[in-house]
Amino acid sequence: MAPIIRTVNLTKKFGSLVAVDHLNLEIEEGEIFGFLGPNGAGKTTTLLMLITVIKPTEGTAYVGPYDVTREPDKARTLIGMAFQEPKLLWVSTPWDVLDWHAKVCGLSSEERRKRVRWALEELGLWNERHKSIHGFSGGMRKRVEIAKILIQRPKIAIVDEPTAQIDIVGKHRIWNMIRALRDEGSTIILATNELYEADVLSDRVAIIHKGKLLVCDAPKKLKDSILGGDVIEVVLEKEVPSKIVEELKAINRIVDVLAVKPNCLKIYLNQAEEVLPRITEFFMKVHMPVKSIQMSEPSLDDVFVHYTGLTIEEAQKR
Amino acid sequence: MISLRNVWIVAERDMRTFLRYKVLLIMRAIWFLAQIALFGLVVNKMLRPDVQDAVGGNYFHFYVAGIVITLLYSTAVFIGYDIFEEADHGVIEYLLSVPISRKELVLGRSIGGGLRSFIYVSPMMLFALYLIGISNPLQLLVAFASLFLFTFGVAGFSITLAVSIKSSDKFDILLGVVDALIVRLSTTLYPIAYMPDYYAALAKFNPLTFAADIFRWGAGIESALITSPWTAVLGIVLFFSMFTFLGIILHEKRIEGGGWQ
Repeated sequence: MAPIIRTVNLTKKFGSLVAVDHLNLEIEEGEIFGFLGPNGAGKTTTLLMLITVIKPTEGTAYVGPYDVTREPDKARTLIGMAFQEPKLLWVSTPWDVLDWHAKVCGLSSEERRKRVRWALEELGLWNERHKSIHGFSGGMRKRVEIAKILIQRPKIAIVDEPTAQIDIVGKHRIWNMIRALRDEGSTIILATNELYEADVLSDRVAIIHKGKLLVCDAPKKLKDSILGGDVIEVVLEKEVPSKIVEELKAINRIVDVLAVKPNCLKIYLNQAEEVLPRITEFFMKVHMPVKSIQMSEPSLDDVFVHYTGLTIEEAQKR
Repeated sequence: MISLRNVWIVAERDMRTFLRYKVLLIMRAIWFLAQIALFGLVVNKMLRPDVQDAVGGNYFHFYVAGIVITLLYSTAVFIGYDIFEEADHGVIEYLLSVPISRKELVLGRSIGGGLRSFIYVSPMMLFALYLIGISNPLQLLVAFASLFLFTFGVAGFSITLAVSIKSSDKFDILLGVVDALIVRLSTTLYPIAYMPDYYAALAKFNPLTFAADIFRWGAGIESALITSPWTAVLGIVLFFSMFTFLGIILHEKRIEGGGWQ
């Protein structure tokens, strides 16, 4: 089956800054495609090019059969976006915003009323539907933004950081609504810097950093691809000198060691149950008392670390 | 191909947004009434008979018609502020992402900006006509049609300025200066006969003069006209065509491909 989205050397430059660098991606119809990366990685710029809000500097993208540089109007008939920052005028009310959105997307007046009411009720905004957005919290504004895409139900739905500023109960509700949207036939592009969100929702994940695509696959395959299928997190009583980290790396079956905090190490290894006694023995020998040890499966965070050498928090700071 | 339905949806949005600025709308209406009930009446009493003759016999009527035009102008210009407000809130990105063409979007904004001004000022226009009186309904219809085009022209003019200037502060200052000049160098508030020649020369080509003239003609204050009503109609049509066209071209050019960023 032909991909529903295809980018071909998609590039966007702002002056000397290369925000998106020759991106080649294919997104299959009906999947939830996670687009993962720290803030400033180029996720939103890519999405704005897909929805034809900005033009690529080089390359192009195909939305369905339409080239975004040649047939932007047709491309927009297939795609809709809930933005990272809610795009709302402070004088508007949720009802006005959503009713207009439904209208401009071509819904009949009956269907419009039905869907707007449904979305407002589902997102807990029904009682506030005629209140000015001016007095809304960040989370409430975000819910209005998300409601747009749930009402539109486009063939391709882009959700950019859909649960930023939303509480944990709200997050689960929105995740379920995104899954339901996919089940109804939409292809979802989920841009996020929340690794857990990408992991639980996505069928496939693309990791982007500094405008470049690092890797793209199913979350499980990505996690399995890391050398050292097990992860041990060791918290020590005191700061770990780099010399100790290097000595630790020399232990057989340890693939990599990363200092996530001055007193916390993440150890990537094979056959953890066999190596663990040697690790504890090592710390005793070098007089580094261990506070706690935790074994876990690799996460997408580990995948990100594997490909960039940085945690997503560190990448965000740079 | 342009879908009129989409153009109307965009225009309707601008009209609804305008209605949300309740304080502004109430203040403008109070300003209008104060100008008539205070300034207009007092100045009317101060004027010599020869001045009254120069404006068709009643300065108060002349002034009421003029103040309607200034109100029409100042409310139609407001669409430019909306464009900046939307750029500040990122709403422009949203508008560019919806499934309508750029042409439909910019045309709708131009129409919405003009139409909302005309609708808002209509009750005040009718109140002004109640004060002045109506002598020829057919002339009045021609005047209304011309003023309708005038508001689109002003909205296009405001959009042209808004998309040519990147800073909202600069736009605000420029519009203040333009407002001061365009209103004062017109016959909205005083007759051309009392203007120095070099002011009068400019006032003759001012779209606000055309609009004030045509409204006065429609209301039957014919002796106050500086030219033939049909010249005024032609002036308004030219103003409308130029700025609606220019506003659309520049707006479309600016927003396409992220030029608004």
